[in-house]
Amino acid sequence: MCSTPAVPDAPLTTHTIEFPYTRTLGPVVGPFLTGLRDGHLLGVRNRDGRVLVPPLEWDPATGEPIDADFVEVGPAGTVETWAWVGEPTRKHPLDHPFAFALIRLDGADTGLLHAVDAGSPDRMHTGMRVTARWKGERIGHITDLTFVPEEAR
Amino acid sequence: MTPDTAEPDADGPVTMMDYFMQLEYHELLCPVVRRYAEQLLDGKLIGHKCPSCGLVYLPPRGYCPICVVETTDADEIELADHGTVTNYTVVTPVQYYGQEETEPFVRASVQLDGGNATMNLQDLVDVPVDEVRVGMRVAAVWKPKAERDVSEISNRSWGSAEGCIDGWKPTGEPDLPAEQFLGKAAF
Amino acid sequence: MADIAIVGYAQSPSWRQSELTEPQFLFPVISEAIQQAHVERRDIGFTCAGSCDYLSGQTFAFVMNLEAVGAWPPISESHVEMDGAWALYEAWVRLQHGDIDLALVFGSGKSSPGLPSEIYPLQLDPYTLTPLGADPVSLAALQARAMLDKGTITEREMAEIALRSRQHGATNPYAQVKDGRGDVDAMLAEPYVTAPLRRHDLPPISDGASAVVLATADKARAVCDRPVWIRGIDHRIEPHQPGMRDLTESLSTRQAGNHAGVADRPVDVAELSATFSHQEKLLREALGLGDRVEINPSGGALCANPVMAVGLARIAEAARAIRERGATRAVAHATSGQCLQQNLVCVLEGA
Repeated sequence: MCSTPAVPDAPLTTHTIEFPYTRTLGPVVGPFLTGLRDGHLLGVRNRDGRVLVPPLEWDPATGEPIDADFVEVGPAGTVETWAWVGEPTRKHPLDHPFAFALIRLDGADTGLLHAVDAGSPDRMHTGMRVTARWKGERIGHITDLTFVPEEAR
Repeated sequence: MTPDTAEPDADGPVTMMDYFMQLEYHELLCPVVRRYAEQLLDGKLIGHKCPSCGLVYLPPRGYCPICVVETTDADEIELADHGTVTNYTVVTPVQYYGQEETEPFVRASVQLDGGNATMNLQDLVDVPVDEVRVGMRVAAVWKPKAERDVSEISNRSWGSAEGCIDGWKPTGEPDLPAEQFLGKAAF
Repeated sequence: MADIAIVGYAQSPSWRQSELTEPQFLFPVISEAIQQAHVERRDIGFTCAGSCDYLSGQTFAFVMNLEAVGAWPPISESHVEMDGAWALYEAWVRLQHGDIDLALVFGSGKSSPGLPSEIYPLQLDPYTLTPLGADPVSLAALQARAMLDKGTITEREMAEIALRSRQHGATNPYAQVKDGRGDVDAMLAEPYVTAPLRRHDLPPISDGASAVVLATADKARAVCDRPVWIRGIDHRIEPHQPGMRDLTESLSTRQAGNHAGVADRPVDVAELSATFSHQEKLLREALGLGDRVEINPSGGALCANPVMAVGLARIAEAARAIRERGATRAVAHATSGQCLQQNLVCVLEGA
């Protein structure tokens, strides 16, 4: 998906849209992000006993509301699948090449999408172990942490 | 509860999350608007007159939305740079993100003589906000030629003479009665 | 269910970057579909459009698109912030009421002005996905890796799908990527964009539009000697979070295909909205399409990807295969969301 303009010399207009959003978090996402601020990863247990990460307010399979039965998961987990981002965009969580991965945290029954700061794609493989690397200053945000190969800790 | 930033109490639960959304769009100026902008630099207001219904669109869109027929350079018509206020609104600015105005201001629709094309969202100058009236006769206040700039003109026809016309000032002529402008323009 | 037919269809070519505004390139497409249907604009009882304001970067851009329809005197219309294929579904539902007999459907979009990698993350979970900038190529790459790990596809097969698509695209006047020359080994020697996806595995950035006219049975037979009948149409959606789905299978496509009756009779042609090469194989399997089915004779989404019109274009291309190239039965597929989260399947027949 390249971005070279196809019509040379034609005038290009620039238009910017900006919206500052402040979102309320509610009774499930709030505790999840509070957990991140405090250095914990949380999932929520559904009626069948499966631990969903990230926690949801309603069961994606049945649509039933999920009681806010939080369970601590991780901080380590297993990579279920990964992709190597060679040229991060300004919206990505890291400014150097990294992997996006679905990470099955220990204790969870679903994969969490997050970034793995592995340094090189040679260090990535499905099935590898990764663990959370917490930022020093956290505010309660999904970017309060990143993941790294477990042996890097 | 709408705090400006989500500064959490370090001990209490996190209840809010900020996200600053910003997207940039780079769009080619379409040929019809490109030509319109060139004429604007020259102090001319050029619209397209539909060959089927006779309604005039300024800036031109390259088609008539009523008849769904294409319009081209062959349908060009020059409009006068004076006309009548057919509608207006007084905006009292709320200081939301991006709002630069602080005092109430007017946005007016000006129906131009010579073709009845309407330019929307125009600034009115030299008239207090509470004296603006429908029917008021106005004329364009052009920037000096050397200062004109069409870089803000886009395909979206908002700010339709931005960078060339500073606004429209009352001419002092008697107001035009409604039956002389109602129903004559596309909108 | 009442029988509904496609009686007219049209597409614009897909361009990397159109000089025209969206209404400008949309209106001739709509006019052509109406003309092809041999109906009058004023006889259309319902209009439904699919588009995405975030693509255009303007709120209510979809309202401006109505200028391409001729909405005066006022018309009955609706809009979905989705691909035009879903607009077609809504129009199909509307025609079931039986009080009107013609509907106009269109989809359009300009992907060229914005950055897909920045726009699409905004569609995702705002707390856990958007702030990571999870973009469509990265998400598709996760899906491709999962298929590679499972052994359900190889990188060579992905390149072959890309090459075959381009060879088909070379024969399609509406396609954007038309260079059918290529060699799989040379393609595999190219670097990754986001591993394991290479440039040839990705769709182009396209501006374009498509339109379809639907009619109820009596009207279809009156205006058209070869209506294309919609024998089945259905759509299903999976959970949002990619980690809560099996990315190597498309359960929603399978279900939609079952409900639409894909397997009822042999299929000649399938037009699949596989925006990434590995998705073609995944969708084939989900729909149970065997080797005798011609896949994406148009070149598919790898050759032209006018987002918001691409799914409707698959329906138009499937109709074209029936009406213009003698196919008897065709399947068209449209998708929405990341990694084939939501899928629509439409089964068309010529008789």
